[in-house]
Amino acid sequence: MLHNLILIALFSPLLSSIVSALFIRSPKKLGIFSSILIGISFISSFLLFVFYENSFSYSLFDWLNVGNFKLSFGVLIDPISLVMINTVTLVALIVHVYSIFYMDEDKSINRYFSYLGLFVFAMMILVMSDNFLGLFFGWEGVGLCSWLLIGFWFENNDNTKAANEAFIINRIADLGMLMGLFYIYWNTGSLQYSEVFAQIPNLSNTTITLIAMFLFIGAMGKSAQFPLHTWLAKAMAGPTPVSALIHAATMVTAGVYLLVRSNEIFALAPSVNIVITYLGVFVALFAASMAMVSNDLKKIIAYSTLSQLGYMFVACGVGAYWVALFHLFTHAFFKSVLFLGAGNIMHACKNELNIKKMGGLYKDLKVTAIIMIIASASLSGLPFLSGFFSKDKILESAFSTGYLDIWILLLLGAMMTTFYSFRLILLVFFVPSKEKNSHTHDAPKYVLYAMGILGVLSISAGWIINSFEKFINIPFELNIEHSTHYVMILITVLAVIITLVYTICKYKQPIKEPTSKINTILKNEYYIPYLYSNIFVKLYKKIAEFLYEIIDQKILDKFYEKLAFSVFNFGIVLRKLNTSNLSIMIYFVIVGFLLLLLTNFIRILL
Amino acid sequence: MEHLLSIIILFPAIGALLGLLVDTKSIKTYGITISVIEFCLTLFLWVSFDSKAIGFQFQEIYSLIPSYGVNFHLGVDGISIFLIVLSSFMAMLSMIGLQEKRDIKHLIITILMLEMTMTGVFAALDTILFYIFWEFSLVPVLYVIGGWGGKNRIYASVKFFIFTFSGSIIMLIGILFLSHYYYTQTGTWSFSITDWFNVSLPYNIQLWLFGAFFLGFAIKIPMVPFHTWLPSAHTEAPTIGSVILASILLKMGSYGFIRFSLPLFPDATVYFVYPIAILAIIMIVYTSFVAFAQKNIKQMIAYSSIAHMGVITLGTFALNSEGITGSIFLMLGHGIVSGGLFLLVGMLYNRVHSKEIDAFSGLSTIMPMYAFMFAIMIIASVAFPMTINFVGEFLIFLGFFQVSPTLTIIAASAIVMGAIYSLYLFRKVFFGKLKDEHKILKDLNKNELFTMVPIVVMTLALGIYPKPITDTIDTSVKHTLSIMKERAVLEETKRLINE
Repeated sequence: MLHNLILIALFSPLLSSIVSALFIRSPKKLGIFSSILIGISFISSFLLFVFYENSFSYSLFDWLNVGNFKLSFGVLIDPISLVMINTVTLVALIVHVYSIFYMDEDKSINRYFSYLGLFVFAMMILVMSDNFLGLFFGWEGVGLCSWLLIGFWFENNDNTKAANEAFIINRIADLGMLMGLFYIYWNTGSLQYSEVFAQIPNLSNTTITLIAMFLFIGAMGKSAQFPLHTWLAKAMAGPTPVSALIHAATMVTAGVYLLVRSNEIFALAPSVNIVITYLGVFVALFAASMAMVSNDLKKIIAYSTLSQLGYMFVACGVGAYWVALFHLFTHAFFKSVLFLGAGNIMHACKNELNIKKMGGLYKDLKVTAIIMIIASASLSGLPFLSGFFSKDKILESAFSTGYLDIWILLLLGAMMTTFYSFRLILLVFFVPSKEKNSHTHDAPKYVLYAMGILGVLSISAGWIINSFEKFINIPFELNIEHSTHYVMILITVLAVIITLVYTICKYKQPIKEPTSKINTILKNEYYIPYLYSNIFVKLYKKIAEFLYEIIDQKILDKFYEKLAFSVFNFGIVLRKLNTSNLSIMIYFVIVGFLLLLLTNFIRILL
Repeated sequence: MEHLLSIIILFPAIGALLGLLVDTKSIKTYGITISVIEFCLTLFLWVSFDSKAIGFQFQEIYSLIPSYGVNFHLGVDGISIFLIVLSSFMAMLSMIGLQEKRDIKHLIITILMLEMTMTGVFAALDTILFYIFWEFSLVPVLYVIGGWGGKNRIYASVKFFIFTFSGSIIMLIGILFLSHYYYTQTGTWSFSITDWFNVSLPYNIQLWLFGAFFLGFAIKIPMVPFHTWLPSAHTEAPTIGSVILASILLKMGSYGFIRFSLPLFPDATVYFVYPIAILAIIMIVYTSFVAFAQKNIKQMIAYSSIAHMGVITLGTFALNSEGITGSIFLMLGHGIVSGGLFLLVGMLYNRVHSKEIDAFSGLSTIMPMYAFMFAIMIIASVAFPMTINFVGEFLIFLGFFQVSPTLTIIAASAIVMGAIYSLYLFRKVFFGKLKDEHKILKDLNKNELFTMVPIVVMTLALGIYPKPITDTIDTSVKHTLSIMKERAVLEETKRLINE
């Protein structure tokens, strides 16, 4: 029965994708049908969790058998994959339901649901696979769906450019990951998780470090870590429910999943872990700093996602893999509901994204506002909400592994998080608006209920922290004394609350934010996107044109042409000798005869 | 049954000759019928092929010039059988999709003749016979480009002919030298590679002969810097010419490496691994850059073909089972995918009479079916998992990684650079606002669907489940590697080759 559940969980999203593409013509029915299929997938995933006893893998079919390379595709059910499939299908289900409302008037709704279903399918492959290549298949598959969905409104060139950028940057990282797979294969003789992890301790340190490094490069692309982060902000060009599902809750966390999944490799590569930790901290602050000044509703949330991914990487870096997974789990709920809330706001304000132009929306969008406030509070780590438990655990883990500097920086990050989250809330909902938004109205009830589920989870998902730790069962010792522990929590909570109060006081009234130099740099996202598009892309184009126009056309092709014509011209010169003039011919005969005599003479001499 | 291979080779030729009697109206139906029967014959060949058996099957020998041991010697193994099936498959589909107004009768007859030479090249075990088919294949292509091509067709066809011919003439000298060497060693004349396998060659002779064969194959592939004939041939060639050129004719070169160079000159092969790998990598990176600079869709695909052929060459010289099997599988993959892309471009050209990238925008609004098929071909072309090309490229890079991780990283940048130009092309042509003059365009018609659906299905099916084919290939590749090991005169070579 478990096998059937696996198949149902895995393939019903694919079925949804195919049927949406080909058959259903009524938008409402289409949405309901897709949601039901994703719902079935979620229920199956949940049942798998309920009936879970021991981890097992279930082989689907032999994919390849070449030389010594053998690979069969299979599904691995263990605590990590169970957490992932449940999170993915639950958020996907709610996003599907939400999309019925959000994409209602879009004429390409069939295409939309088809892509969305395909995405869920690819994501399920990614997290369920029992080998690295299957993971890579899902990895690329979600990348493809992300490309399709970012560029969903393809008439606008900016959207499709953003889509291409996302795909190409991810491909660069995938190249790294592929190298990691090759290293793994040639050193362990397999790509199956169980066999690889069994072999890893026997390898040399250099090899393990190389493997870990390449896998991490792969993770950096999908999880948009610096310097491969620019695509995530631009990916907001896609429909908002897509941002909620792909660019907040699921796909971008695939990098974290990869690290958690291969924790047995990373645990043996301390130097890579240091890089992961510091890069994570850097990204957490770097992204938060951009979120603090941005006026773009979705970009703020996108940078916030980036920053939280940094937190997760820190957790991985210090070896607290279950904490990383736990933050991934809670983050999926509050971040996706933030995006869905943003979708409601955009829907109410005719796709306006500039939060400076909004304000006073609380009275029209009460429910949305409340849900978003809860989610933001959870994100900021206010006590007893989900985010509090998971984020606090990351800080503690960093502290307990001896990274005091990181603890301080992460605390700073938490304060920044509170600042930008509530800046957004206040500017959108509470600051009196200058312009009158006449026809604002909240989303329909069923959508709000669906979002409510995520809202409830944003509050309560953190409460299961202890059973979560036991369930995941990747040991990590916290070496903190009780008294220190309480002091730390107190400091964190105080810091967050002080920031919260400060933010509320600051943004009670519409204020003009200062335009300092730092502000300009932050608003331009440290000029990194500018650097990429103006230097790298232009340089690439220049090289391409140089190689084609100069090397290929002017040098190589001309060379061959000259060569061919020189043969031809030589023929023309020779033709002149052949004049049919008898006296000249006789000269030739005589010269030839003399030559023959000469050669013979020489031969005799020799 | 025992004459199946000669039937497969002669059937299209006879079909071509009889085609002269058919009138112009019904010639297309006639051509399709012949090519469908031919495809069924090759399928039958595959079905009756024993995938577990080692060595050549369906062997036939008829004496042609007894005093010099030239025979009509045919046979297939796991390496060649799928290339034969691919030839008849692509010939059939391009015949179905054929939309030519000018002198269609002679075009079809030419294509049928070409089909004979293609299957002949892949089935010949006698080097003189191989050489005859190899050279004879130039004539129909010359005729197709020169007769049905674009504005600059004569230039392009002559360029094509001179390039490939000058390469193969050197190969012929190599063949003659080798047979003479065989004669001096054994006292009998033979041109059959199965005989040649029994005689080991001294190291220095191997180096020279490898060079001679290399020129013939490298120009055909075409390896940089011998590639300039290909883009101009593609630009001028009619759709059907481009399809067959890209999917089958280029593969003759890479097939030649695996069939002849590797087992005949094992030590020389090992000696040349690094130079050729570096050349292949230059080829991949260089043409990927150049493809991005193209303004013409067909030329972009042509350059991307060269990049893919670079990957194929790289895999061949990995000298392990993974790499070579991947290389053969990518030949099939690239054959189907590039053929599909050229067919699609041809369908667009029939509607708009333009191949310029800038001439199009937002086509997916008006031609969704077409856009879907193009998208599948594009993602296959960037070696996306679950498509046929991924299997090949993955195995090739996996295989070559054993030789040199650093070079593999550079070579595998193909997957990034390929994505850059392919997605650029797709974005330009299919995304954006539809141009007003294109609002009347029609989506694919039934005939075009008939052409494209099998290609799309094969692209996905073999990407998801490649095992039945790779198993068969792998058996023969392992056998080839064991021949290499056996014939090697240097201990170093024996050590380096992994079966």
